[in-house]
Amino acid sequence: MRPLEDVKILDFTHVLAGPFGTRVLADMGADVVKIMSAVRETGRTQQDSPYYLMWNRNKRSLAFDMRHEESRQLARRLADEADVVIDNFSLGVLDRWNLGYEIVSETNPGVIYVQMSGMGATGPWSDFVTYAPTIHGLGGLTYLTGVPGRGDIGIGYSYNDHQAGLHGAIAVLAALEGRRSTGRGQRVDLSQFEVGVNFAGLALLDWFGNGRSASPVTNREPYDNNAPHGCYPCAGAASDALVDERWVAIACMSDDQWCRFRNVLGDPEWARDPALATTRGRSEAAEILDQRIAEWTKGLTAEVVMERCQAGGVPAGVVQTGLDLCERDPQLKLSGFLAEIEEPHPMAGRTYADRLPIYFERTPCDEYRPAPVVGQHNAEVLSEWLGMSEEDVRRGEEAGYLS
Amino acid sequence: MSDTRGPLQDVRVVDLTDERGIYGAKLLADLGADVVRPEPPEGDALRRRGPHLEDAPDGPTSLWHAFFASSRRFLSVDLDSEAGNAQLDALIDRAHVVLCCTGAFGAEQERLDAALSRRPELVVVEVSSFGKEGPWRDYLAPHIVAGALGGAVAPTGDADTPPLNAFGELHFMMSGVYVAIAALGALHLARVRKIGQRVHVPVHECIASGLEQVLMWYWYHDRLPMAKGPVLERRGGLHWTNAFQTMRGRDGCVFVTPAPNRDAQLAWLIEEDAAGDLWDPKYQDPANRETFTLAVMQRLREWVATRDVEPLFKEGQARGLAYGQVVPVEGVADNPHLAAREWWTDYLPTVRGPGAPYAFSDTPWEIGPYGDVGADTEAVLSEIGWTESQ
Repeated sequence: MRPLEDVKILDFTHVLAGPFGTRVLADMGADVVKIMSAVRETGRTQQDSPYYLMWNRNKRSLAFDMRHEESRQLARRLADEADVVIDNFSLGVLDRWNLGYEIVSETNPGVIYVQMSGMGATGPWSDFVTYAPTIHGLGGLTYLTGVPGRGDIGIGYSYNDHQAGLHGAIAVLAALEGRRSTGRGQRVDLSQFEVGVNFAGLALLDWFGNGRSASPVTNREPYDNNAPHGCYPCAGAASDALVDERWVAIACMSDDQWCRFRNVLGDPEWARDPALATTRGRSEAAEILDQRIAEWTKGLTAEVVMERCQAGGVPAGVVQTGLDLCERDPQLKLSGFLAEIEEPHPMAGRTYADRLPIYFERTPCDEYRPAPVVGQHNAEVLSEWLGMSEEDVRRGEEAGYLS
Repeated sequence: MSDTRGPLQDVRVVDLTDERGIYGAKLLADLGADVVRPEPPEGDALRRRGPHLEDAPDGPTSLWHAFFASSRRFLSVDLDSEAGNAQLDALIDRAHVVLCCTGAFGAEQERLDAALSRRPELVVVEVSSFGKEGPWRDYLAPHIVAGALGGAVAPTGDADTPPLNAFGELHFMMSGVYVAIAALGALHLARVRKIGQRVHVPVHECIASGLEQVLMWYWYHDRLPMAKGPVLERRGGLHWTNAFQTMRGRDGCVFVTPAPNRDAQLAWLIEEDAAGDLWDPKYQDPANRETFTLAVMQRLREWVATRDVEPLFKEGQARGLAYGQVVPVEGVADNPHLAAREWWTDYLPTVRGPGAPYAFSDTPWEIGPYGDVGADTEAVLSEIGWTESQ
């Protein structure tokens, strides 16, 4: 038994943010039925693409051609059976299919209807097209994550897509709890932009409260000035290529940890400078500190620096790449966090899962099925949700509205 | 009871988190749960985190704490005393959910074990840095170290910079959001089946779960035409697809992509006489798809370098392209869309900040008042039936 096995979700999401949110709910046992189209590019031709495989495991698939009235009617009947309808299309798409909240909630007042649009349902930018880096830019994250004088770096992956998806999952779960109290479902207008601006919250409170505009700080702390605090180059690279560089992060978060770090370093003469005994002194000398530390780390592998620091009570960690995570990380190996999905994918063959990072002691979530191919569960889902016969499903497939 | 509203108004939570989980407690509190945060008589250590409001009437106030401990009630308890421990136990005994981080104030294993044995329907969400066992179990991992080991630092930065940590608390906000999901998922089961339980959330895995291309690149690089090996190097604002990039304009930076409407982008370049050889028939060959993408992006870089970024961003959006201007904090604060949605909310009487990232139609969200050390002690002790004679 998994925590959400009584929850039925009709999933109209695509790309990353929406599918990541429903993936988490599916991992926790919800019956997530993904409405897919065989005639769109994102359908059959993309269903074995790595990106699709990553975010759609544990779901079931229905293939509808929404140009057909029959498909729209079936979708409408499914919405009546669902606890949750969720989409991250541009605004208005589901309305055009007669699946808007006002219509669905008339016959299914308990429905929780989550719209994860880029900018939210109202406001002058509500029809803007966004990807995560659009939101990183407009929300301050690109500007803040970088080095002084550059505005073109930002986060090296689509952080906000993951977070928007996870916030979508929270919206669903919170609304389920709300429905338990009120007996009613409701509509949730989730703005992926507002999720993203939230992550610049500290800088924004500082701006509104003190009039201070935060700047990028490379790897220093933006507010508390602990030092040393950075990433340092190490030995052990397999080649001169950028991709093979080795780095370690070291952070002394207190005077005590600085004293411990001195011991790890062998208490060299330069580190005994009394000015370095305080956070303020180290912060003022951060640049020279970084140079000294880099001279030390360059002679050691990142793993050795980490182990020596951690053994001495100093926070430090290898700057791990995907290869480190998948092949070397002892914690992930131990927990089995990264694993091949046992059941082969019908088209892609071997696929993989980074498991749900939530461990329920009494109801573990340890079932992993590969992402579905388009229409893989037509008969199964339409029978279970609507009581349709196999013959009716076959007829729909022949007529083209179930592909 | 708390004045907060929202979908979680019938949920009682005890918040024993530190940086690694406090964002999860914030989400539940802002969504209307009655979240009580116990703290020692001298105050929560996180009240010392910067930035601070410099001209607050009673001395500098931690904006860090005001943001992450929003909508809470604060209970002052002395855990060096028998009475303080009994108070905390009594508080937990009336909660639906306890959120805690290993080693945080009040989060002793024995206390939580005893609470779970007294009340099998209780949900206890426990956050650790790396898990309950293993060689790194006791490793110290503040934000930058957690991000480095979790895989989030390596892909960020450029060839001429070190790998870069994300600004602020982004890695711990990733573990925090999983804490909220864990709590609500377990609470749902507790409501439906009367089954409570302990739920464990390792920060390390939370960070690794949110890296977009990183794990995909390792697992599927042989299926990605642009991949040269199992790891993609850090490369500034150029996305793994090669079709999205934050570029430098004449007066700033802007995120540019021909997606999702490549034809509209090409038409625009032609109008601007900046398309170069992009209409060369060689690009029509599906085998040259990647070459074409690289050629389009090169044209765009050259073109964007000659343009002011704000009008470029706005015209891009008007043409259905997902452009986004890179703005500093004051630019975010002045955003007209957020103003029109009346999104900002007050965290302190003079300090605005982010509002709710989701609007519930029937159970609207509002942030609760922020309190001083132990501000709600009397009310909370009264609710748990604690009298002075005890």
